Amino acid sequence: MLEISHVTKRYHNLLAVNDISLQLRQGEVIGLLGPNGAGKTTLFKLIAGLLFPDSGMVLTNSKEWPMIGYKPERLLFPGSMRVGQYLSMVANLANLPKSQMESTIRLSLEQVNLSYAAEKRIKDCSKGMRQRLGLAQSMIGNPPLLLLDEPSNGLDPEGQAEICRQIKSLHEQGKTIILASHQLHEVTQVCTHLVILNNGSIHYENSMKDALAERPHSTITCNRSVEPLRLLLENLHPDIDVGETSVVLNYEAILLRPRVIGILLASGYDIVRVEQRRVSLAEIYAEAVQ
Amino acid sequence: MNQRILTLTAYLFRSLLFSLAGLLYILVALAFYLVLFEPRQHTPDVDYYFLVLGIFGLALSFLATLSVSSRANKAEQFPLLVRLPSRVEYLTAAMLASILFAFLLQIGIALLAKFVNGPVLDIQQVLVILPVWLAIDILFVVLALHATDLVALGWSRVYIYGALGFLLYLQNGNALIRDWLAGMFRDLGASMLGRGLDGLSAIAYDLSSWLSTTGANLINQIFGLVFWPFSAITNAAVSGSFTLSQALAPAIILLYATGLFILAATLFSKKDLFLTE
Repeated sequence: MLEISHVTKRYHNLLAVNDISLQLRQGEVIGLLGPNGAGKTTLFKLIAGLLFPDSGMVLTNSKEWPMIGYKPERLLFPGSMRVGQYLSMVANLANLPKSQMESTIRLSLEQVNLSYAAEKRIKDCSKGMRQRLGLAQSMIGNPPLLLLDEPSNGLDPEGQAEICRQIKSLHEQGKTIILASHQLHEVTQVCTHLVILNNGSIHYENSMKDALAERPHSTITCNRSVEPLRLLLENLHPDIDVGETSVVLNYEAILLRPRVIGILLASGYDIVRVEQRRVSLAEIYAEAVQ
Repeated sequence: MNQRILTLTAYLFRSLLFSLAGLLYILVALAFYLVLFEPRQHTPDVDYYFLVLGIFGLALSFLATLSVSSRANKAEQFPLLVRLPSRVEYLTAAMLASILFAFLLQIGIALLAKFVNGPVLDIQQVLVILPVWLAIDILFVVLALHATDLVALGWSRVYIYGALGFLLYLQNGNALIRDWLAGMFRDLGASMLGRGLDGLSAIAYDLSSWLSTTGANLINQIFGLVFWPFSAITNAAVSGSFTLSQALAPAIILLYATGLFILAATLFSKKDLFLTE
């Protein structure tokens, strides 16, 4: 759908985005993670055409530039307008025919649980309601590409779950979505791809499935220090890490688990716990941004 | 496209009308009416009515554009901007909203000044006055766009207003520029003479003396041409009717406005949008 090719963007002396290349395929949900100031919002604005890259290009493979629904991070709306009135304006800009306008607005309000506030002035809406309004306006006109900058920021857990459900539903409809978020559980739940930015560069990129399947490891915890067996265990396989009271078997070294347990038991150790797990998104993120 | 432009025009127009700035403009317009068309004074002449309200309209157009553009330059418009296939649609809407606000207020005050002890206007005069006012309003709206953060790109407003100031300066026939140019050619002639370039030196001396005498007037006239439409309209208003050539003046003003709008659209399309929060 879109290709970001070696895009660089500077704000005076600050390198906001540094030589980023990314492919956006139809139907993908890309989770964009990164600390504040990593370049997420700048990347969004470059994709949305609000900023121009200093070098590199944002290209589309279709004849026309796809219609974009954008939910900015900051919840800024014309406060004097009513919720329904604002959505009606967005519907007009999305070129919706008059006959479809009312039903589209009603549907988008229902989708974000905001039907009750259609007549409310935006300045009287809570942060959560504005967050929902931001999502509702981005969906109007059925844009094939959605840029959602922290859509669940400031929502209660129920609201966050609702936003997750909504994004999943949009994904099922075949929409391409880029989701910037600090909510790692949300990204894990809804994204098909993961991109971690730091200091304007991509530090990690993978499909979510592969990212979470990465580095499976098994941890064997003993009742006392395993230091005396360090040399013996580490010589078994280079992917075995020996800690104070635990032995971690990474990747293929997991296959050696029965043998390691046998050695520990034979050496008089009691096995307190054996854990089999994969790396978490939080660990991937922490490693990427370090 | 029309639907999008009309929607944005209505939105920007409403945002100015129902704001403090909008209320202020309406109050200023009423004050202007009370001061310059005081109902208890004698009936104003048609030329006074035409020119004073014309100047009021251009000033209002300029100010209204600054206000509309500052609203259009807010970060809350990002979701709207990404919906547009072309940024020019947004700029067109900002321009139309400004024209609409200024022209409607100008017409409102004009009607008040007309019907409360105002001059008698026949239909022909009305048909002349309105397009002239509108043309001038449009030009000043477009000119004001170049002064705003919404459109200005780098030093563009300095260049545009600098060029305008330079043209105004030249058309006033200022002796300083004339003398400076004449002096420059005289020095050039002396320098060429020193290098043995007698022919070229003579040309430079001739140019210098021409500039000191008849040439200066010609230069003033050339630069004065740029501002001819305004003097033509003023002369026509004072004389009470437009000659054939004077009738072209509003069209030429619209031509200037078109050129300036194309420039504004080019700048706006090429710039990074750092809208204010």
